[in-house]
Amino acid sequence: MKYIIETEKLTKKYGDFTAVNSLTMKIPKNSIFGMLGPNGAGKTTTIKMLTCLAYPSSGTATVSRFDIQKNPNEVRETLGMVPQHVSLYKDLTVLENAELCADFYGVKEEDKLDRINELMDLVDITYAKDKRIGQLSGGQKQKASLVASLVHRPEILFLDEPTIGLDPTTKRILWELMEDLNSSGHTIILCSHDMHEVDRLCDNVAIINTGNLVAYDSPRGLKDILLNEEKQNYSNIKETLSNIQNNNEKLEFNYRRLSFLIENISDELINNLKSIDFVFDVNISKQGRVELQVDKFEDKAINNITSSIIKDGGIISSFSSEEPSLEDVFIKVTSEAEDDARA
Amino acid sequence: MSERKKIFWLVKKEWLSLKRHPARLFSILVFPIIMILLFGYGMGGELTDLPVVIVSQSEGDLTDVTIDAIESNKIYKVVEITGDINHGKNLVDSGKVKGAIILPSDYDEQINEEKTVDFYLDSSDQMASQTLVPATQAIFQNISIGESSKISSFLTNGNMDNSQGFNIDSFKSMINLDIDKIYGDIKYIDFLVPAVLGMTIMMSCMMGMGASIAGERETGELARLFMTPTTVATVIGGKIAGKLSVEFIRALILLFAAIILFGASAKGGILPTIIVLMIGALCFVGFGIMVSSRASNQEDYSQMVMPFTFPMMFISGVFYPIETMPWIFQKIAYIFPLTYLNDAMRGIMLKGQTLGDVWLDLLILLGFTLLFFVIGVKKFDRDI
Repeated sequence: MKYIIETEKLTKKYGDFTAVNSLTMKIPKNSIFGMLGPNGAGKTTTIKMLTCLAYPSSGTATVSRFDIQKNPNEVRETLGMVPQHVSLYKDLTVLENAELCADFYGVKEEDKLDRINELMDLVDITYAKDKRIGQLSGGQKQKASLVASLVHRPEILFLDEPTIGLDPTTKRILWELMEDLNSSGHTIILCSHDMHEVDRLCDNVAIINTGNLVAYDSPRGLKDILLNEEKQNYSNIKETLSNIQNNNEKLEFNYRRLSFLIENISDELINNLKSIDFVFDVNISKQGRVELQVDKFEDKAINNITSSIIKDGGIISSFSSEEPSLEDVFIKVTSEAEDDARA
Repeated sequence: MSERKKIFWLVKKEWLSLKRHPARLFSILVFPIIMILLFGYGMGGELTDLPVVIVSQSEGDLTDVTIDAIESNKIYKVVEITGDINHGKNLVDSGKVKGAIILPSDYDEQINEEKTVDFYLDSSDQMASQTLVPATQAIFQNISIGESSKISSFLTNGNMDNSQGFNIDSFKSMINLDIDKIYGDIKYIDFLVPAVLGMTIMMSCMMGMGASIAGERETGELARLFMTPTTVATVIGGKIAGKLSVEFIRALILLFAAIILFGASAKGGILPTIIVLMIGALCFVGFGIMVSSRASNQEDYSQMVMPFTFPMMFISGVFYPIETMPWIFQKIAYIFPLTYLNDAMRGIMLKGQTLGDVWLDLLILLGFTLLFFVIGVKKFDRDI
């Protein structure tokens, strides 16, 4: 089985409102799959349908080859879910919640405690096993939620905004945990607004907007598509302007930021940087960093600028460059979809 | 086996939650007693020691007997006996006393003639008026009966000589009115207690189901349960079992509080009383499930359930007999399950009836229960 989840024209309507519109996609087994989309885009409704919490209005979907409508209980047995808001009983302890979930999933009595202990060790929450959920911090709650969701050893784990509101350290711990779980054979479906998180963790990403699937690829693939598309547009605009004005206008909407920390800065060094034809602007920030706006699509920009600095006696202590991000892709595809919807 | 475990967990969770919230547990245990106290003392108590003034413009044995009868009645607290009518009326007008009983100057004269006693009453205090008027009427009716007997006795003996005088002791004894009460001396508090028990169970079941289902739907716990391979019936069954186990304890506390605090008696037995209360609890839990099946959050649930709870409290004969209500309310009362619960509770507790005697009330309650459950489970939206 190559794909663990397959949907075919999956649709959910609430009255006249279409929350998910004819969604067709395949999620590879043993992957970390990201679902992106603005608020109200339809990703939560999609997850609800796939976890048998909402009935589709039309279309079909299979999870681990089980039809979500014909075999909901079999589907449920293959799933675990860590929701955005921890939905464990706040008056029960970590251990009690895990035991309750184990019994609801029909885990054998003799395996129950071993599995719970193993999971609590894995996510490092054993020290708080007798604490009530209401007494835990955000990160501890998510860990407890993971234990309860994994106690029946599901093939697929849905995570809805699992790191929202968590501190950077706890975030990283959870990311590593997701990678570990994925390595041990779990397919992970991650819903998140954190582009960095999705970029770092996911093998494939689907972007859903206004109920439609608007993009589907690996994070790198999505960024390349955007980059190539922008490159093409930029070339066309540049050519047009060149024909009309016969000069190279600074097209600021297509610049890229470079930042250097340089020792031995001289006026000559700055003036020479300004004179490079693909450099639009040069500024020195309060922190003493030289900030440059350069043509986004000039392949030799970094090479030429670095050579110029060194030639004028500057010593580069540090350097950073703004790269096209998944966020750019997200903004682009979701705004296009909104424009289409308005049209 | 596995379904039993799930139901067990939901019951266990209910009790662990209570155990870990001592304030909530305290409120569950003490609230019923407070309810009983409030309704018992606030609404079911007898009025006594109502301040009155006696204006006596006459002198003689009959006057003495009358004053003695009024003073010995615990309803009255005679603050003053005066001969001045205006003073007596002023005391009423100024609110110092609730009424002035004015004995006319000819009260002791002409034993066989009709006399008019004036009762100058502060009718702005409805509750006091409602107690004072019948009590005063009863006193003078008894005195009147005594007088008639006396005259008759004199006539029988052929002796109309008044110098023989009344036998005051025998006169006094005639003041007591003998009423044949088939269920004993039932006071308002006795009438109130069984229905307050039923009403408290109703309120607690209906509000509790809101928190249990609509509340958990809102906070996501219900979604987690429904993501497991579990049927709606198991989840609802577990919720009911949890709720009923708490209500059972509450019913016991309520019943014993009523017995200890107000001397209420369960003439038909404690067990039948508890069984009736549990059938009522099941019915109202069913009602809660029916409503919460469509409520997306606790606030919605409260708004949806409110139009039923309050009319039910006031129309189902908790505080006043249904027969005393306007005809439209009487008709509405019979579509409310609380009416049948009250009827069965009063039958068991006051009349000493058996479960068999109140079978019709119980059958109707179980019918309502079945209806609520069928609608509740059918309409229950797993689509969370």
